[in-house]
Amino acid sequence: MNEPNPIPKPLPLTEPQQREATRLCVETGLTLLQYGAESALVENLARRLALSLGVERAEVALLANAVVVTSLGSGHCITTVRRNEDRGINMHVVTEVQRAVLDVEDGKLDAAGYRARFEAIRPLRYSRALTSAVIGLSCACFARLVGADWASCSVAFVASGVAMAVRLQLVKLHFNPLVNFFLTAFVATSIAGQAAIYSLGDTPRIAMASCVLLLVPGYPLINSISDMVKGYINTGLARGMYALLLSAGACAGILLAMSVWKVWAWL
Amino acid sequence: MNLLLGVLQQMALASVPAVGFGMVFNVPKRVLGYCAVGGALGRGLRYFLVEGAGIPVEWSTLLAAATVSLLGVAIAQRLRAHPKVFTVAAMIPMIPGVPLFKTLIAIVQIQQKGLNNELLSTAITSGLQAFFVVAALAVGLAVPGLLFYRRRPVV
Repeated sequence: MNEPNPIPKPLPLTEPQQREATRLCVETGLTLLQYGAESALVENLARRLALSLGVERAEVALLANAVVVTSLGSGHCITTVRRNEDRGINMHVVTEVQRAVLDVEDGKLDAAGYRARFEAIRPLRYSRALTSAVIGLSCACFARLVGADWASCSVAFVASGVAMAVRLQLVKLHFNPLVNFFLTAFVATSIAGQAAIYSLGDTPRIAMASCVLLLVPGYPLINSISDMVKGYINTGLARGMYALLLSAGACAGILLAMSVWKVWAWL
Repeated sequence: MNLLLGVLQQMALASVPAVGFGMVFNVPKRVLGYCAVGGALGRGLRYFLVEGAGIPVEWSTLLAAATVSLLGVAIAQRLRAHPKVFTVAAMIPMIPGVPLFKTLIAIVQIQQKGLNNELLSTAITSGLQAFFVVAALAVGLAVPGLLFYRRRPVV
């Protein structure tokens, strides 16, 4: 029998190494939070990254708009805070960051390699024309699901397709999301309202309801409850409140459009 | 037979918004197919449970979301990505968007026209329906973590 090889105990990190590991950890957490990952995943991946980079202990605290990381190593700790601003949901970034962290865990990447790979991640964006067309189709499908006729489905397609193009243009111009949702809902309801005025199709009300469904903040709503179920009450409440505000913005746009064109749907 | 046709129709119609919203969430191209399958499966299963088995919509939603999430875990481990990357987009066809907006519009109407029973009951019932269905979706998605992956990460 061979003597089992004792696994060499990793050397404690030097202070610059620990500083770099802490920075990578907080930047990873921040990026995941900015692109819409749920809190449990953010905390889990940030901590796993720090530990596999050789930090003795890592603590991650998430606030509604900041990330705090403390790493402990060789008798002292380093704490750092990053402010968070929302960059919109991007699952491509979340996937790429997670794969890089898994590679560090498997020992395929060291700190320098991880930084190079992390900084090379460029958020994927689908083309605006394609997204608008597919969202138009999606809202037409929503209309069909609740029994609209084909004419009303076409109305929903046009209204929500145009609205999505407007929404993406407003995002590009860096408008506040609340203003964006208000204006987009106004555009969608106005277009679908014309169909009701000129009585296109037999179910104009379904078209009016379906064409604004692109504005339901589904991801933040689900994230909000998931966070709270897993014990992250503060980020969960913040996300839920923001989702509700976005819906209220859209609702104001719908109501304005309905009173301008004097077509009443919904109730 | 009608039930089967209904399920198939729901599945076909639900796969489109799952992909559409997957694109809004910038889900990677290779993963969009899983969004479509998950969306179709979730919505189809919920329709079957509500129409065929007579289970209330919130419980059906919970079961459908849990099923999609459990299957999602297996796929996620192959993809080396968190299941939420594609399962949330798959839940979009089940999001109660109409009740959510109905609630808010009814509240504004109450403020403008004064309180009456019809508006109040619309506001409360739609609001509760929206809340319970969203909660069912979120809890359903969390089922693998709550039941099987209690002390270890899914991926």
